[in-house]
Amino acid sequence: MATQTQTITYEASLDVLEPIRKLLTQIGQEVELSKKKTYGLCLAVDEIATNVIRHGYEEAGITDGVFDLIIKKNDNQLVVTIVDAGTPFNPLEHNLPTEQDLSIPLEERPIGGLGVMIARQSVDEFKYEFSNNKNRNIFIVRYDQTDY
Amino acid sequence: MQIDINTENSILIITLKGSIDSKTASEVQQKVLEASVESDNVIIDLTKVDFVSSAGLRVLLMVYRQIKSKNGKVILVGVSEEITEVMEMTGFINFFEIIDTVTNALSSF
Repeated sequence: MATQTQTITYEASLDVLEPIRKLLTQIGQEVELSKKKTYGLCLAVDEIATNVIRHGYEEAGITDGVFDLIIKKNDNQLVVTIVDAGTPFNPLEHNLPTEQDLSIPLEERPIGGLGVMIARQSVDEFKYEFSNNKNRNIFIVRYDQTDY
Repeated sequence: MQIDINTENSILIITLKGSIDSKTASEVQQKVLEASVESDNVIIDLTKVDFVSSAGLRVLLMVYRQIKSKNGKVILVGVSEEITEVMEMTGFINFFEIIDTVTNALSSF
């Protein structure tokens, strides 16, 4: 299969989260990605897109923001990139909750910080780049036959 | 997002249907917390929930805190494999009792 790329522009609104999950689920089925990997991809993209919408745009006072979702189907992997012009934020520099944090009883646990951790752990590879004044959050899932 | 609330033998049964993401979580949180004010024991049925993001986990956390402060118990029912995995990843799994069906959950109180 030759590389196929599609780019879709979304409004920076939480209303787009569900349509994005539906699209990624459909593409996951097309490339015969396992149910588990498809769910992981949807989850990771959902978490980062939420951060982009909430922190990158809303908190910065930008009401008409948009972001691009670039979906690239290769022979052996699916690469999804969120490109946004909101506040620069590198999730890889974000302090992840430690083992110790995660064992704190739920009633004492600080709320937050989980989204980035979930995003990073739910795909095979997660990358972040900042170029041309834009954040690029990159999610890679490999078509792993042994996963079925 | 559909939220149904019932009571059986003074145990609150909350049945959720749909996806709990950052868009839907606030409505779920408000309704669920409001409903559980009067209850010490809550069953949350997630059988028809196909997606839970960190925003959804936060809702579970809020319910857990509210019920725990009254020394009550929260049981989750019908948790899919994918949602279980996220709960494991985040350590949430250790704090909730997870049971396969509402009937079995009811008889565990």
